[in-house]
Amino acid sequence: MNSSILNIQNLCCGYPKFQLSEINMNVRKGSFSGIIGPNGSGKTTLFRAITGTLSIKSGKILLGDKNLRLFSLRQRAQSIAIVSQFIDAGDMSVEDYVLMGRIPYHSRFSFFESEEDFKIAQKYMEMTDTWRFKDRLMSELSGGEQQLAAIARALTQQPELLLLDEPTSHLDITHQVHILNVLQQLNQEMGLSVLMVIHDLNLASEYCDQLILVNQGKIHTQGTPEEVLTFQNIEDVYNTVVVTQNNPLSGKPAIFLASRKVLKEIQEKLAE
Amino acid sequence: MKKIYPFVLLLIVCQLITQAQEAKRIISLVPWVTKSLYLMGEQSRLVGCTSYCPVEASDHIPVVANAMSVNIEKTLTLKPDVVIASSLNKPETIDNLRKLGIKVVLQPYPKSFVEICAYFIQIGELVGQGAKAKDIVDQQKVRLAKLKARVPAGKNPKVFIQIGAKPLFCAVPETFMEDFIQFSGGKNIAEALKLGSVTREYVLKQNPDVIFIVTMGIVAEEEKNTWQSYQALSATKNKKIFILDADKTCSPTPILFVDALEEMIKLMY
Amino acid sequence: MQKKYLHWSLYLAGLIVLLVASVVLSLSVGEMNLGFMDIFSILRKGNGSMEYTILSQIRFPRVLLGIAVGGSLSLSGILLQGVYRNPLVEPYTLGISGGASLGVAVAIVFGLQHLIGSFVLPISGFAGAFLIIFLVYTISSRSGRINIQSMLLSGVMISFIASSLMMLMMATTSSENLHGIIFWIMGSLDEPDMSLIYITLILAFTSLVASYFFVQPLNALRLGEEKARHLGINTDTTIKLLFLLASLLAGVSVAVAGVIGFVGLIIPHLMRLLVGSDYRILLVSSFLSGSIFLVLSDVIARTIISPNELPIGVITGIVGGIVFLLMMGRSSLRTLKNN
Repeated sequence: MNSSILNIQNLCCGYPKFQLSEINMNVRKGSFSGIIGPNGSGKTTLFRAITGTLSIKSGKILLGDKNLRLFSLRQRAQSIAIVSQFIDAGDMSVEDYVLMGRIPYHSRFSFFESEEDFKIAQKYMEMTDTWRFKDRLMSELSGGEQQLAAIARALTQQPELLLLDEPTSHLDITHQVHILNVLQQLNQEMGLSVLMVIHDLNLASEYCDQLILVNQGKIHTQGTPEEVLTFQNIEDVYNTVVVTQNNPLSGKPAIFLASRKVLKEIQEKLAE
Repeated sequence: MKKIYPFVLLLIVCQLITQAQEAKRIISLVPWVTKSLYLMGEQSRLVGCTSYCPVEASDHIPVVANAMSVNIEKTLTLKPDVVIASSLNKPETIDNLRKLGIKVVLQPYPKSFVEICAYFIQIGELVGQGAKAKDIVDQQKVRLAKLKARVPAGKNPKVFIQIGAKPLFCAVPETFMEDFIQFSGGKNIAEALKLGSVTREYVLKQNPDVIFIVTMGIVAEEEKNTWQSYQALSATKNKKIFILDADKTCSPTPILFVDALEEMIKLMY
Repeated sequence: MQKKYLHWSLYLAGLIVLLVASVVLSLSVGEMNLGFMDIFSILRKGNGSMEYTILSQIRFPRVLLGIAVGGSLSLSGILLQGVYRNPLVEPYTLGISGGASLGVAVAIVFGLQHLIGSFVLPISGFAGAFLIIFLVYTISSRSGRINIQSMLLSGVMISFIASSLMMLMMATTSSENLHGIIFWIMGSLDEPDMSLIYITLILAFTSLVASYFFVQPLNALRLGEEKARHLGINTDTTIKLLFLLASLLAGVSVAVAGVIGFVGLIIPHLMRLLVGSDYRILLVSSFLSGSIFLVLSDVIARTIISPNELPIGVITGIVGGIVFLLMMGRSSLRTLKNN
């Protein structure tokens, strides 16, 4: 029986000019899920509602089987760790930055980090391959390295659920693949539930076992990549004609785009 | 008989001329000038003064100026024969008044008793009471001489006249306050200074034998308490820390000067 | 890990030594220069000599006030910079000095100190500061959640209004009052009332200890308000409390010693350059350096045009500004070299 890590029921929230309505969503425990959708579809709004940045108008969000509203900020931080798109950590050392993930476990009066804190931080830094630049300043790292450090920091929070906001959007393919590989490893070896907002449909298909397609403030489809990434769904939501085929290496659905010129040629050929 | 008429006519004309030269309507922008006019009994000539001039409320003299500016319009409407100003008034104000055709007489701030007397007489002449002014001055000079004689010889106490609290300000040479000290046989602890803002430490170092506090209100009491808390201070040991009335002491007119000096000498010895 | 803590201990020790040295310097220097050894013998001989009076009743209170105000202003500055994540924020940007100056101007212009006594000046200064703090706080918490940027803006605007009102009063009052207001505004550590000094000192040290309860939130806030919340920090409560604490420190300092500018701006920056941005070391080092800076500035203010006294705000502005520019120059050279 697959239990749920995140269960959203009838959620309504948003801004004066843009609302999410009647969101019903379920993320299985131990899954690697992706929230996809076009710009302005509400992905980010949904993300913010889950992280708690945006307040909820109606409906509820359950973490496990407990309503998130009942969590204190500290408890929330011990269960959900969030990695934002841009890391702005200034001139902190990487190690100091990662150690900040232990804050939810410190009492108000604890002043120095404990030995355990250092051990935990080291473990996750080694896992994300960031231990080697632990003394460098965060501002000196590349975008990809910063993301990895942020993931390490999130891991020291020892959460049940890891939330990421477009972790790969601004990285080159080397780093994109590297980070997603790390996340996949964490998901499979540690059983960590991962939920990320992602732009790139092919990467989403390759790595996620569950996809949530958002469009115009509503959930259009939820399911496996095969179920979600159909030609019809993409045309409905993205207003773009694509061809879906299976990725020759992994067998997962892959999206092929074509330019208008090529599409016209195909149309003309079909007309014959 | 007929010979008298030209003579009488001449007298009348002379009288008219001198009367015409006398200032009948005076606006005073200078408090001690206002006071001087009162001392000569000529306050009826005052048609305008400042908000801080020592006038009798019952005289209902219109106010044309406050501490920061002079109301030029009001000054004009009062049609003064002369406006008396001092170096404490803004030069632009004086220029403006002159440009509008008003006669402005500048009274410098007296730097000594001698100057106080000289300027007093000047004002007296301005109102045609030169003789009376001179009389008053002579009387005060006599009083002064008697006072000086009463000063015990040989003693030369160090004196500190405090004229400001926050910041701490003391009387320096080149002011008429210096004369207070000189005439009473004392020595100003600030005699080497040009600028009066000093530190408390400086005063303690100079260790005055007598302290006169000339500030207003409760601040003076507080200052007295502060000085008294310094047990090593000579003035504290001698119990010679006094508060003087600021209005009386700081007004450079002959009568008030001698009054103040009299009080000072009484307290000092 | 150990290296970091070792560095911190060294900084702390160094600052304490510097503070002690500044205190000794301040006690020795003045109209009467007292040698270091003489100080002990004077103290032992006790009451009676002029040196003892000067030492105990003039210099010592000034030193204590310098430590208290210097520490308070720097601490206030570092807390505010932590909350606003804005390096240009100092206690006075928020209008606290404007409010205090207005309060004192009102008291002087209406001659209150002549009616009630000199202690009415610190009280009106604090009342003015408190009014501003209250206004800024209420305006910015109107919408429920605290908006940092709007807090900053409303503080600056209120500051302008307060300053204009004050200039209006200055334009319509006597030159003696004017002199009094200006002198107060430029700041001075000359305060004969020991109880005020003790109050300021106790407040300063208590606040330093209290601020250490916020070390975690402050460090978390370095990542930004939203991310600090993600780490479990209640940013609303933290920001409100820190704002009040910083304002209290600044308000009391300004009420007792006048407007002494730049200390709350420069010292935090300097400390950041020297010891880094971890608040565990930053809070106490800012406090101590602020104290050192003010005590030394007071020495200069008292002696440079002796026997006249310069307002201490002049010294902190000029010296502080120059020292800061020098440090900035060196640090940017260093980053150029690294790149």
